[in-house]
Amino acid sequence: MSTFGYLFIKELKQFRANPFMPVVLVLLPVLLMLLVPLAANMEVKDVRLAIVDRDRSTLSGRLTDKISRSGFFVFTSYEDTYEAAMEELGKGNTDIILEIPAGMEADMGKGESVEIFIAANAVNNTKGSMGGGYLTSIVSDFSDEIMQSGGFASHQPLKIVPQFRYNPHLEYKLFMVPALMIVVIILVGGFFPTMSIVSEKESGTIEQMNVSPVRKRDFILSKVVFYGILGLFAFTLAILIAHFVYGLASHGGLIEIYVSAVIFLVFMGGFGLIISNYSETMLQAVFLMLFFVLIFMLMSGIFTPVSSMETWSQYVTYILPTRYFVNILRAVCLKGSHFADLTFDFVMLSVFAVVINAAAVITYKKQN
Amino acid sequence: MESENVIEVVHLTKKFGDFTAVDDISFHVRRGEIFGFLGANGAGKTTAMRMLTGLSFPTSGKGTVAGFDIRTQSELIKKHIGYMSQKFALYGDLTVRDNLELFAGIYGVPRKETDARIDNLLGRLSMSHEKNSRVRDLPQGWKQKLAFSVSIIHKPEIVFLDEPTGGVDPAARRQFWELIYEAVDEGITAFVTTHYMDEAEYCDRISMMVDGRIEALDSPGALKEKFGAASIAEVFDILARGAKRTE
Repeated sequence: MSTFGYLFIKELKQFRANPFMPVVLVLLPVLLMLLVPLAANMEVKDVRLAIVDRDRSTLSGRLTDKISRSGFFVFTSYEDTYEAAMEELGKGNTDIILEIPAGMEADMGKGESVEIFIAANAVNNTKGSMGGGYLTSIVSDFSDEIMQSGGFASHQPLKIVPQFRYNPHLEYKLFMVPALMIVVIILVGGFFPTMSIVSEKESGTIEQMNVSPVRKRDFILSKVVFYGILGLFAFTLAILIAHFVYGLASHGGLIEIYVSAVIFLVFMGGFGLIISNYSETMLQAVFLMLFFVLIFMLMSGIFTPVSSMETWSQYVTYILPTRYFVNILRAVCLKGSHFADLTFDFVMLSVFAVVINAAAVITYKKQN
Repeated sequence: MESENVIEVVHLTKKFGDFTAVDDISFHVRRGEIFGFLGANGAGKTTAMRMLTGLSFPTSGKGTVAGFDIRTQSELIKKHIGYMSQKFALYGDLTVRDNLELFAGIYGVPRKETDARIDNLLGRLSMSHEKNSRVRDLPQGWKQKLAFSVSIIHKPEIVFLDEPTGGVDPAARRQFWELIYEAVDEGITAFVTTHYMDEAEYCDRISMMVDGRIEALDSPGALKEKFGAASIAEVFDILARGAKRTE
């Protein structure tokens, strides 16, 4: 058996003997994938709506009916005047006011455009703007319907047609769940090898290795490969939860997903080793790693799209390998992209993985 | 015929910034002897040993260990030496057998010989029944004996022992020295640092380090005679009087 083989078995035995890490390896993806999408759901539900219906016609009845059927709103009150509704809004009892002007049905019958007024309380920004958005889209939908059903001479009013590609219902979990899969792989792939090397430094066992003829690349490879496999295990757990719990059906191939995950884990392993080469204690290593992990998470388009960042920071993302991995995973999961569509991302990710591991071997000093 | 000196060191110096930890030392160690490397805490023993074992680059001077240059051929040296660190450095979360197998594997002991060597070493320590115990659960004295066994499992030319008997009782220290004698009988050269002056009597030759320099080097008997002292401890007191470093 080769030196690498002995070192790999050593990692395996140490991991099995550890009462803590195997539990973390399973609990981390499970809890992250099960709890966070429920808690951090940004879908807006139960927006409280006050309706001021000054028309009181069949048509206005159909509109309120349509709004109620959308499921996004709860009706808090029907007021006669806008002022009364505004008072409710001021008290915080309602989030949005929809005012249907008097004579709507009549005016539309005459072929005139009618203005429907929406006022949203923007204190809870998400609720206000998302609710307002939903409402706008329902109303314009409604105006479409009555156009087509005929009977009204009104020419179609200008209308915004929001088209959400690939995530047609803008379901937040479709966005959130792949993001959490990436978080799982970053945490397991980055922290596990770092902690393993630094604990060897703290316990002094690394010195026993350094004074032996073990080649640096064998030692580093044993860590990267072993913790890479653990990372794949955690990632697989995350994929299974995404599929069976959230019904996230990947539109693309698992091969693309796993190849990119392997390359990314090789990168994270090498990166973790560089961090541990420059840290003497667990505390140093964890803080240093945390710093980079936060940058990886916040700047690579995991939670906020790269395209909506400041221009200069968009350029910064090109030096973050997570960016390419996030790109690949999203494109494969949501659009069904293949290797050929993602050549640039795969090449960049591989370059980072190779360079960072070469740097890990170079910065690891057996003799100083 | 290879040189009978397995370690040769000339003008070896190690500086950390302004601090000269090892100050221009020259000595040699003969094949098959027990060489005691004595000195107070902070005298530079461990730093010197780290240069010899290829863990640390010398600032100046040169040396060979097992015929290889300590500056340029440290990875070759590492194949021919064993090392037992001052701080216990085996994998505490692995069993006794796991540790022995791991280091036998790393040093290239043939797979089919490994079991026999492990049984032999554990038999010598009367630790065969602890083969599957976790190393961190063993008492201190046993841990040190095990660390020593690990350091000689590949039958190195030289074994470096850095304060191997720190923190154990006199009886355990005596037993430990018996292990060193057994290893030396098999042809291994032992290079031992210690600050227990009574242990110096077990060595063939000793060097005494004070403030980074070697102040005396000879057999224990010759040193006592030269300084007119009754024990090595007394010799050391005479030499250490001029010491400036504490800790």
